[in-house]
Amino acid sequence: MAKVELKNIEKIYEGNVRAVSNANVVIEDREFVVFVGPSGCGKSTTLRMIAGLEEISSGDLMIDEVLVNNLPPKDRNIAMVFQNYALYPHMSVYENMAFGLRIRKIPNDEIDRRVQDAARILSIQEYLRRKPRALSGGQRQRVAVGRAIVRNPKVFLFDEPLSNLDAKLRVQMRTEIAKLHNRLNATMIYVTHDQVEAMTMGDKIVVMKDGLIQQIGSPLLLYDHPCNRFVAGFIGSPPMNFLEGRLREEDGSLLVEGEGFKFVTADIHRDDLGKAPSPNVIVGIRPEHLRIAGSEEGESILNAHITVIEELGAEAHMYMSRRADDTENLISRVEQRHDYHIGESARFIPDMEHVRYFDADSGRALLGVIGPIRMSSRRSALSQDE
Amino acid sequence: MRMGDWYDRNAFWLLPSGAVIFILMLMIYPLGYTIYNSFTDWSLTHGDKVNFVGFRNYLDIFFRDDRFWGSVGRTIYFTGLAMVVEVILGVLIAVLFDAKDFSGKRVARSIMLMAMMATPVAVAMVWLLIFEPTAGVLNYLFKSSGLEALLGGKQLWITDSSSVIPSLVLIDIWEWTPLIALIVIAGLATLSREPYESAMVDGATPFQIFFRITLPMIAPTIGVAALLRLIDCLKTFDIIYVMTMGGPGYSSETLNIYTYQMSFQYFNFGYASALLVVFLCLVLGISLLVTYLRRGLEL
Repeated sequence: MAKVELKNIEKIYEGNVRAVSNANVVIEDREFVVFVGPSGCGKSTTLRMIAGLEEISSGDLMIDEVLVNNLPPKDRNIAMVFQNYALYPHMSVYENMAFGLRIRKIPNDEIDRRVQDAARILSIQEYLRRKPRALSGGQRQRVAVGRAIVRNPKVFLFDEPLSNLDAKLRVQMRTEIAKLHNRLNATMIYVTHDQVEAMTMGDKIVVMKDGLIQQIGSPLLLYDHPCNRFVAGFIGSPPMNFLEGRLREEDGSLLVEGEGFKFVTADIHRDDLGKAPSPNVIVGIRPEHLRIAGSEEGESILNAHITVIEELGAEAHMYMSRRADDTENLISRVEQRHDYHIGESARFIPDMEHVRYFDADSGRALLGVIGPIRMSSRRSALSQDE
Repeated sequence: MRMGDWYDRNAFWLLPSGAVIFILMLMIYPLGYTIYNSFTDWSLTHGDKVNFVGFRNYLDIFFRDDRFWGSVGRTIYFTGLAMVVEVILGVLIAVLFDAKDFSGKRVARSIMLMAMMATPVAVAMVWLLIFEPTAGVLNYLFKSSGLEALLGGKQLWITDSSSVIPSLVLIDIWEWTPLIALIVIAGLATLSREPYESAMVDGATPFQIFFRITLPMIAPTIGVAALLRLIDCLKTFDIIYVMTMGGPGYSSETLNIYTYQMSFQYFNFGYASALLVVFLCLVLGISLLVTYLRRGLEL
């Protein structure tokens, strides 16, 4: 197994198109790291550079302390699982899995042992003689994973491997890949655009946007302490609510107010908010931190009318808007049973200690970011602390 | 309203009926008429009444006609040689086109089409001049490059019985290799890049990738291209007719040329019809065999 280090990695395509800028990530031995971000953010390019399928424009890529920038894929001791499975259609499942070993001239009995072992782990023993076209999407993806396992590589790379599967299968395979990680104890790098996959699978998540790494950290760290508005909005489902507001002092309290709301900030946030570069802020509230007030009185209240109610049984998602034209979708996750209807006005109380604040211009978090991350002096990117 | 209902109910046979009648008139009727003729002794060389002779024409063809067997052999020789070379060259050209991006790639692809667009008779006339043993371009090039001395004298090309078929095959290759290349280029373009990348990560060399990944994956496309050429090669007529008329002697007389001679030189329509039926069965049989083999190989 291996440690992978990206040092100032950049990818610049013809015409000076920057796909990845200044990427610095340390992936520890046996760690499961997920690169997540919207389409075109550079996550797949980064993975392909690690695989050797894409040339690195500048920076150093180290695998186990060895510079591998100029090594071809086959000499990097990695295995990759592709989004479209990339199985060889003319070969049986067995031959697909054995191909990489045959190329390396591994003895037949050893190949057989490894293929059978991998097939057992992935429960595909009965399909070994079949051609890929006779398999379902989920089975094909297992074969693709099996092909990686038999190679016994230092690093496993996954490029959106679950994107082509239906929702139910995706959840199932997600669990299986996580189990596989525990079982193989291997270094795994996983790319996805699905933040739920990232949250549920990764030991560490790297959030990317426009070729820049935005934040690196554990799933909960990113959830609780997003470094900017993008990460805050990208991580979490339903997404965080954002309200434009203005800070001001009143009777010794620090208030933030805007259209349809007036909140008294929590004491623990006062110091950080006091250093805000401008009084114009974005208030970020997770749906579970916004509850219906009912008859309860509070000093922090948001007034809105309900536009949609999604009853999920254990909880309800209440969509609301502060404006008459319903142009916004604020969401409250309501756990208790309620008696509200669409079109009704309601008052909501935020859990002020969990509210996040972002600078209205730069989008940066105004509260001190906790955990092993720091604000980068260059651009708005965050990089990992040593 | 009622009329509309009737039309809706019957449109499924009404609409294709024009095409069906057309096919019946232009394909089924001539085929039936040819099969019928093959059982007669219809000939324009005598004024006798046309008699029904049963299988006599077929028995003659199979058991008494050496010229028929000779033409079958030459048809297979021509077809086999042309197909093998065309497929190998076509695939190589396609792979080169697919692998490398070079300026003028589109122009080169269009130029490849030109040979196919030329009319066969014009092609044949030009190649007649090229192959001409004393004043032809090819022998001139052979002489000036020293190849002539190496091969021990002037090449006779289509005027020599041993070199006539390879010479005709050369023209077929020149004209039709681009077709195979274009079909295979199209086939290669539909292949996903991921299996290649996967093979690279697996550690395969370019040579291994070509033989173990690319070739098996485009085998169905190559199969289709080869089948098209197979049928066409078996039927080749125009170039041979214009250039050699089956000569020298019978040395380039393929089955198609022989049938033509039998009908329009000797006006022996009954016998020629039987030859045509045999020819049809041969083409159909080989095509079905190739298709079956392709399926058997699960390509």
